[in-house]
Amino acid sequence: MGVTVLQPYPLPEGKSGAYIIDHLSKRLLSLGATHAGQFLVDCETFISTPQHGGAPSRAVHVLHNSEYPASTFSIIDNGTGKQVSLVADNIFDLLMLKMTATFASKKQTKIESRGARFEYGDFVIKLGSVTMMEHFKGILIEIEYKSCVILSYCWEMIREMLQGFLGMQVPKDYPNYFTTQTIMNAMGQQQLLHAKHNDLYEPMDTVKQYLEQFTNYRKHVNVHVGGAAGVSVQPIHMPPSSIVGVGVGMGRP
Amino acid sequence: MAMASVSSARESLQHALTNRFLPNLEYLLQGSILDSAVEHLMHRLKGLCDNVDTSPEPFHDLEVCMSLRQPNSNQPLLLRVRRAMDRDAPMQMRYLGQPEVDQRRPTLVRSCMDCACTNGILDFLTEMGFRLEFEYLAKGYMFRKGRMKITVSKLIKIVHGKQQDMANEPISQSYIVELSVVAPTGQENVGEEMRVFAEQLKPLVQLEKIDYKRLGPMP
Repeated sequence: MGVTVLQPYPLPEGKSGAYIIDHLSKRLLSLGATHAGQFLVDCETFISTPQHGGAPSRAVHVLHNSEYPASTFSIIDNGTGKQVSLVADNIFDLLMLKMTATFASKKQTKIESRGARFEYGDFVIKLGSVTMMEHFKGILIEIEYKSCVILSYCWEMIREMLQGFLGMQVPKDYPNYFTTQTIMNAMGQQQLLHAKHNDLYEPMDTVKQYLEQFTNYRKHVNVHVGGAAGVSVQPIHMPPSSIVGVGVGMGRP
Repeated sequence: MAMASVSSARESLQHALTNRFLPNLEYLLQGSILDSAVEHLMHRLKGLCDNVDTSPEPFHDLEVCMSLRQPNSNQPLLLRVRRAMDRDAPMQMRYLGQPEVDQRRPTLVRSCMDCACTNGILDFLTEMGFRLEFEYLAKGYMFRKGRMKITVSKLIKIVHGKQQDMANEPISQSYIVELSVVAPTGQENVGEEMRVFAEQLKPLVQLEKIDYKRLGPMP
């Protein structure tokens, strides 16, 4: 396990997702990367049913990452901005089903990123097509540098690798997820989270980056569909930074 | 399609359930023995059980039971979280279903799900709306015999606000003895295996299926 950076890939006008994936795969293969299986990251969100006390609704995001097939990752958002994360055995999924009376699954927001996995020396690159309810939403590129667990030591190398196969400039700054984020604490005040670029990287960090991106994609539905769906998507709270942050603002391919 | 080669976690779990290799039933027999006689039982178990060179394996666990009120149901959902006090190990969360005391079966049978978790589990459950139901310490020894697990432990009440260990007092003058197997659905011979083993402990401890309903509601 090493440091992983997740980047959304902006879709150019008039090009299909499949075309871009194919194009990027070819670039990777011609650089010398080898195809090494498939991957899947999925996310399902459970929302607490309304309580008498009028407490804010809580969201439990349950994610899986095929890189860690025995684990279930969950992040609870209590509605006031506090997040608690948990890594558990897969059987946690069955426990969630015991609570359907209190936490109902929002099936229409089930979202996943799946695709091919490539290896190139110490790097693992994953080209994921994001789909929600079978609808294509976009492309997420995951790049992992396996030999290091602290981003600040290897960001330059990851960045160079990204530029190499994407064929475009990637800003020098650390990706958004690793820089200081503002969150709302339980008292409703804004609080600064310390920057993560010098922290030990954990598998949970990868999952959190996915959740951040998935939340953005879900919000997009919101914009297009609007109306009734907009109200129901509201309880999925994310730190404000994730709304703005679309990774390192990438240029045009 | 090549993409289909990665199955989702939900699919593999479903696969484990339908093919009956997910252990989700607990077969249980319980009994107790007075402090004064526990040494004899320990000797007997040492002779009967596997792990000869390492046995008995000591444990010291804190069990915290959390409950979640469920709408349209009188029964709250209970989850038990165990933390090892004597070693660094992941916390264990356990769901136990309603016990089924079938006269024809030699043991109590209840659905059971064990799940190892990271340390944030209590915080996580609290945020979900779970409340503390009760907590206690269990300190004792664990033995194995094949797939059977035998624990001999002392239940200790936690007294808050005082020096730890000093203030905590045993709940009774005896040890609780539990014989259990967690197995997938459909393995009916487990019960018989356990009954035979329980027979061998008989003069010392009487292992029985305890009907919780007869003991009244949960405290």
